[in-house]
Amino acid sequence: MTNLTTKPTRRTLLQLAGGVAAGAVAAPYLSGTARAATQITVADPGGPFGPAFRKAFYDPFEKATGNKVVNVAREAEPTAQFKAMVETKSYTWDVCTLTLSARDILKKQGLLDPIGFSHADVPKLMPEAISAEFMGTDVYSTVFAYRTDRVKNAPASWTDFFNVEKFPGRRALRKNPIDTIEQALLADGVPLDKLYPLDIERAFKVLDKIKPHVAVWWTGGAQSTQLLQSGEVDMLPGWNARLQAAIDGGTPAKIVWNQGLYSIEGWGLPKGGPKADVARQFIRFCSDPKAQAAFTEALAYGPTNLDAYQTIAADRAKVLPTSPENLKQMAIANEDWWSANRSKVTERFNAWLLA
Amino acid sequence: MSAVAARAAPARRSGFRFGPLWLAVPGLLFLAVFFAWPVAQLLGLSVVDPENGGLSTESYRRIAATDVYLRVLGITFRIAGWTALWSLLIGYPLAYWLARLPDMFRGRMLLFVMVPFWTSYLVKTFAWMIVLGRSGIINSLATGSGLIDQPLPLLHNMFGVMVGMVHAMVPLAVMTMLPVMTGIDRRLVQAAQTLGAAPARAFWLVYFKLSLPGVAAAGLLVFISSLGFFIVPAFLGGRQETMLAQLIITQVQELLNWSFAGALAAMMLAAALVSCWIYDRLFGISTIAGGSAQAGAGRIRDLGLAILGVVGDIAGRAAAVTQRLLGKRICGWLLPGFCWLVIGFLVLPTLLVIPLAFTSSQFLEFPPPGYGIGWFRTYFESPLWIQATIRSFMVAFATALAATAIGGFAALALAHSRTRWSGLIFAFFLAPMIVPRIVIAVGLFYLFARIGLVATDLGLIIGHTVLAIPFTLVTIAAVLKTYDQRLDQAAATLGANRVRTLTGVTIPLVKGGLVAAFLFAFITSFDELTIAIFISGGVKTTLPKQMWDDMILQLNPTLAAVSVVVFVVVTVMLLLAERFRSSSSS
Repeated sequence: MTNLTTKPTRRTLLQLAGGVAAGAVAAPYLSGTARAATQITVADPGGPFGPAFRKAFYDPFEKATGNKVVNVAREAEPTAQFKAMVETKSYTWDVCTLTLSARDILKKQGLLDPIGFSHADVPKLMPEAISAEFMGTDVYSTVFAYRTDRVKNAPASWTDFFNVEKFPGRRALRKNPIDTIEQALLADGVPLDKLYPLDIERAFKVLDKIKPHVAVWWTGGAQSTQLLQSGEVDMLPGWNARLQAAIDGGTPAKIVWNQGLYSIEGWGLPKGGPKADVARQFIRFCSDPKAQAAFTEALAYGPTNLDAYQTIAADRAKVLPTSPENLKQMAIANEDWWSANRSKVTERFNAWLLA
Repeated sequence: MSAVAARAAPARRSGFRFGPLWLAVPGLLFLAVFFAWPVAQLLGLSVVDPENGGLSTESYRRIAATDVYLRVLGITFRIAGWTALWSLLIGYPLAYWLARLPDMFRGRMLLFVMVPFWTSYLVKTFAWMIVLGRSGIINSLATGSGLIDQPLPLLHNMFGVMVGMVHAMVPLAVMTMLPVMTGIDRRLVQAAQTLGAAPARAFWLVYFKLSLPGVAAAGLLVFISSLGFFIVPAFLGGRQETMLAQLIITQVQELLNWSFAGALAAMMLAAALVSCWIYDRLFGISTIAGGSAQAGAGRIRDLGLAILGVVGDIAGRAAAVTQRLLGKRICGWLLPGFCWLVIGFLVLPTLLVIPLAFTSSQFLEFPPPGYGIGWFRTYFESPLWIQATIRSFMVAFATALAATAIGGFAALALAHSRTRWSGLIFAFFLAPMIVPRIVIAVGLFYLFARIGLVATDLGLIIGHTVLAIPFTLVTIAAVLKTYDQRLDQAAATLGANRVRTLTGVTIPLVKGGLVAAFLFAFITSFDELTIAIFISGGVKTTLPKQMWDDMILQLNPTLAAVSVVVFVVVTVMLLLAERFRSSSSS
């Protein structure tokens, strides 16, 4: 392992990162913190994210800058709250985690402030993870998992997943066109890099065939964990960390990374927020590879700063979406296409479900 | 119906300068500011073009362009209708049995009936998944004992939804019917039998008929509350079981198309109002004041009596046959047996939660692989959970007080009034139940943000009171319906003023209804999630909000541990209240 200087203020983080030493990463953020400490309110996804973010980002940021971070749990889709907050100028949050689709919706409505730095400032960040109003901290991936105790013939692709004769087993799909349409097209042989624009007609033809064989249509991430863990179904698509949670808890299951679609979660600033300066400083802090590496200890999400893998144990890297081995099998989901078509396709998907 | 007829006799009283409807004014003002105004603002968005802010009927044209929304509306009504029917069928015998029990014993039995209330519906839903799933308890037992080879499809279909929803709604139905039933004078049934009516005929034509206001009120409450469900169909339903509230939430939260959400909400509201109106025409229950009982209602009443007579005859013959087949002794056990089965059904998920809370596993799995108190430690050591628990209790208590007072006065006003306005006012008071909570929540957030009530306990109390008022009003109104107002008049004749009549005569006599209303309001607030999500701003977290945050990402047995703690605390509270009540009344 490396043997760089250990700053006492960063000790907690370092222990978390598995004893791997950090550089003087805090230094750039220390400048300009001579003024009085500010308290910012950060809306994170709650649940296990709270403590994981606290260890990886909040506490180290507090120690490095003297500012305070109060974290609150936001809704799964915070866009409505975000919109109401900006329009009524009642800033209960200074920073909020957003998905790419939430970012696009909010950006389109002019509800986001710029984050104040660019890819050039953090060159090792995945280029998709940064834009003028957003910086991604973690990558999640839509993949599928199967129960190794029930499914004897191991499926290896979406084509296999959709082939109910050759790969028997009880299946679940997500009750949402997002991801499901892509999965149908991948199953039908559309190459991963030629998915978009999505061929809706073709996708529904494929879905028609599997419709009678889908036992469960899940609606929430926690439900997907439960479905896999309880054995309610034998194979299902889901977000990798949710499926990994079941596996980490002892469920005999395996994740198939092949043809996965990943997306990014990260920070955005509500337009006109009063503490935007400190909030920006905080976002910048979260691009730090060591902090991101520490985050992956707790939750199986991939870091966006690929330098983080220098300090992530090889065993852990295997279950993270952005490890080189997994990343090369996957592509990023195209949020632009969905921003433009989501409403229409959702309507059609709902009609199809009821038919 | 006969209660209406009985009350039609006393002449309309004069001498109140402002008329009795004034008692409803505080409630009307409260709902106008904190419900009608914010919701109207949101509904107004349905005719606003999201792009340029001009007027547009685009959202409504979109609904008309496809049949998917009408179909979902149909499904929503079908699920709500079946839920109401099953809740009444299961709840009526239970309420009947409870009403016949001695006071003390009934109080204790009621605790069992209310058990599902004290278990968060989030937790209950997951408990049902564990019971009904493919490798769930029922299927494991059935396949293990060789009864069946293949697991039964009990989950992710209409059956699963019905189990979840009826389970959630039976307590509501029983609690609404019970005060009416305990108010029925059983000697009337005896009198009918003395006059030669067969027992079955006497039951149907006298007892059942007298209990109808309670039955109709319960049916309406269950039906309308069911319209807004979204968690149960999402988790226990299958491909077909999509309810309108789910679509509205998607539009508000994910697609951010509030114009379209407003249009969907308007459609749901209109459909719910129409069904209320039909209900009102058929049963006349929402016209508490009886103002719109017209010639048609008379004919319907005759028809109803004829039907009840036929039902009574059929039931009489069926009872005779059953008694001959099973013998008198077994027949005597049929009703208690059925009721204990229902109580078993009601407490099952909560009983299940207890071992889950003591599990050593990371998951809500049954049977637990090992036992420990680790999850209780997690709960008690977390200031977040403890704060949320305390806040939930306090907010629920304040909400219950406010909603019972407002709803009680409104019910009193409506019971005393005979104007044609009373029907409308009643509908207005019920409206918070019909409008999807997400619509109220977003509307309130907008309002509160401007007056600084976001992330305050007061904001939560106001929001929850809006939701609880319909329950308190209907519960108290149902009791007042069987309440003989001549008692008030007698008090007035004897020189009591209005306040003294209220505190000395009316309130003690309708105490059962007031307690039920208070409990309804308490639990409405205690188990409320949607308003809490928006108003708490993530800062003032309530218990359901905290549970939701936890379960949306990672289901773990902390939820079960919390449920057990809450259950124990509430049971102790209820037992103390029951003891206090019975000692003060004796």
